[in-house]
Amino acid sequence: MAYLATHDYLEDKNFVDKWLYTMRTGEMDLSWMNAKTEKVMPRPQNARRGLTYRDLDLGSYGFTDVPEKVRENRSYAPRGAEIPEGVPDAQPWVSRKSELWGFNTESYYEEAVSRQWNATTDIPWDRLEGVEMPEATGKALSQLMTFLTEVEMIATDTPAMWLPRLNPDFIEVKAFIASQAMDEARHAEVFRKRALTTGWGLMAASPMNEMALKHLRDADSFSEMSVALHLVAEGNVLTMFRFSEYLSPTDVDKKIFRLVMQDEARHVGYGMQHFKYVLENFPEKREVLHAHLDEAENISFAGAAATEVTESFIILAGGGMKKEQIDEGIKVTTQFNLKQMHEHFERLEKCGMPERKDPNRSKLYQMFLMGKAAAEEQGIKI
Amino acid sequence: MAFYAYKDYTEDQEVLEAMNQVMAGNLGLHWFNANTEKIKGHASEPQRGLTYDDLNIGSYGYSELPEYLRTSQSMVARGSDKSGKLPDMGYVVNRKSDVWSDNVCELYEEAKARRWAPATDILWGALGEKPLGETLEVACAQLYTFLQECELISLDFPSRWVALVNQDFIEQKSFMCSQMLDASRLLEVFRKRALYGGAGLKRASVNAEQGLKEWLWAETYPQGSVSINIALAGILLAIFRHVAAFAPSVTDRAIMRKAMQDSGRWVSYGTGCLRYHLEHQPGQRVALHEYLDESEHVMLGIIGSPEFLEPLIIISGGGLEKDQVKAGRVAVSKLIQLMMREYFERLDYAGLGGRTERSRLQHVIERIQVA
Repeated sequence: MAYLATHDYLEDKNFVDKWLYTMRTGEMDLSWMNAKTEKVMPRPQNARRGLTYRDLDLGSYGFTDVPEKVRENRSYAPRGAEIPEGVPDAQPWVSRKSELWGFNTESYYEEAVSRQWNATTDIPWDRLEGVEMPEATGKALSQLMTFLTEVEMIATDTPAMWLPRLNPDFIEVKAFIASQAMDEARHAEVFRKRALTTGWGLMAASPMNEMALKHLRDADSFSEMSVALHLVAEGNVLTMFRFSEYLSPTDVDKKIFRLVMQDEARHVGYGMQHFKYVLENFPEKREVLHAHLDEAENISFAGAAATEVTESFIILAGGGMKKEQIDEGIKVTTQFNLKQMHEHFERLEKCGMPERKDPNRSKLYQMFLMGKAAAEEQGIKI
Repeated sequence: MAFYAYKDYTEDQEVLEAMNQVMAGNLGLHWFNANTEKIKGHASEPQRGLTYDDLNIGSYGYSELPEYLRTSQSMVARGSDKSGKLPDMGYVVNRKSDVWSDNVCELYEEAKARRWAPATDILWGALGEKPLGETLEVACAQLYTFLQECELISLDFPSRWVALVNQDFIEQKSFMCSQMLDASRLLEVFRKRALYGGAGLKRASVNAEQGLKEWLWAETYPQGSVSINIALAGILLAIFRHVAAFAPSVTDRAIMRKAMQDSGRWVSYGTGCLRYHLEHQPGQRVALHEYLDESEHVMLGIIGSPEFLEPLIIISGGGLEKDQVKAGRVAVSKLIQLMMREYFERLDYAGLGGRTERSRLQHVIERIQVA
């Protein structure tokens, strides 16, 4: 892994002497003062929003003018700076704009920075004092939180590991990914904290989900990772958060889910915008993404088959373990499963991939149609 | 694709049957009696909220974490019931004393509590109303260009490592994520400041980038942490403090104050991490000395770069007149002496004493003269 700089600066007599000479005499080179760079004067377009990255979208400094293939900068030089000979190669894997860009990325980042919240102080934990949940719903809630902690762990590592692989010219995407890693760390924290305040501790890990989630991390390209993570997995989780807020046994849980939803919606928003961008600007990638979606949908289906999660969801949805409660829970969970799949295919269609709504193209769509028909027979509608 | 799920679940009869059973109301409930500790965490000080420290209890806590993590390689949340076939995530940092610092939980809490937004928390208008003279503005543009390079490296360092660190170190991994946000926010504020002034960005630094890449690509996490969290963050902390004192505008001073508070956390973690590392792996002292013998030259590559040194002299002296440059050199000379002293003191505090005598860097620093 080690890299060695082209000079050992302490052994470079010219470098040391020049430095000491400048310090001693004040004679400076000052050639950087005449760097061949553009002069711009960005100002906030909306004073209330402050100075945003969008306000900086000017000329060679802006993201609009970043070419499809970044050939000129592979170093750590900030976009628009003068790049002298000899800067090192940052070894980026992703230097093609359509492989990572999405409309509005800069605003998603700004929103993430301004909407950071604190799992320690923004949740009214003190209101859980004296709240004793019945064993069934208490354990079910703990089980759901245990599962969500696992999910958030992979959602932290996956974007983070891609970040240094992105060409530094894509500052706004790198910044967004950094904000996402922080969001996910906070989610893992809040779910862990909630599990450990139920009185039941954490519950059982979900092997089937973990196997499926590993797929998210080990993608061949950023776009494939993004479609699996931002669109499929986080899309599913967003639906789950929405249902979980509805099922929440306490106001504290409702607040948790409301806060995580706002973050998750941002991640899904970026994922959709990127997916749209890559399909429009890199059409050759469509079949590759289809193939990746085949796998991602397979793991998405596996999630529904992880009984420790489905069962805890049923108990929470029904409010307990009596037969009528289980029946009610199954009804809600069926709606939830179908809604998850429905929203997934809607998102793909909005992004420009309507052809997945075809049972011959997508096995998950096949399962969705079958599930929907069976549910309708029982009078359950999405 | 690097990893395929073990099955095509949509066609697996066992999976379909399990789902059908559950949806028919026949719940297996294997998880219901999970073999885990039953606790109910409370905020020890309700005013401070529920912290990770409050949950440092039994099998869920970090105090009980063993030095070697041999049996957890998956995503399982620490303390939960593990059963069934779990994936191996390929963590390569599995030793507590390679990453841990006793203050990491407090630092993570602080990072969250002290969040700020460059777009709205900096008085950009103040700079617009009282613009700097051309020389000072161009010097600022160069300094902020250089600082962006440093922050790009700072951003990449935790990102490179976080997925390789075992999930059982959840508090430390969370802190690394907060570092990612810190670095991206500083990168943002320095870019915004450079461009807002109207002089554009200036020149990237070959020497600084070459050196920074050497630090970023260190072979082990403890080596990289010493370089990035102690050396680089220490340099930056000293620069931020210095520029805050000599700031040509209230906007620059406000930026530097925010930057100081963020980089102070990095230094604090880096020092704590090194200390913990050496307390538990005293044999690494020799190896780290050797690593620093080889890599400390990077500090000179950074502070000796004309793209850093020259604008800092101008900012510190207030301009390019002879007496201003002299005042600037005096101030920068003091800054460099202070920067080095703090660096050696931090290493000493962490248990890596004797570097003042041993380091090649010290011998060069001693030769600085300001006529």
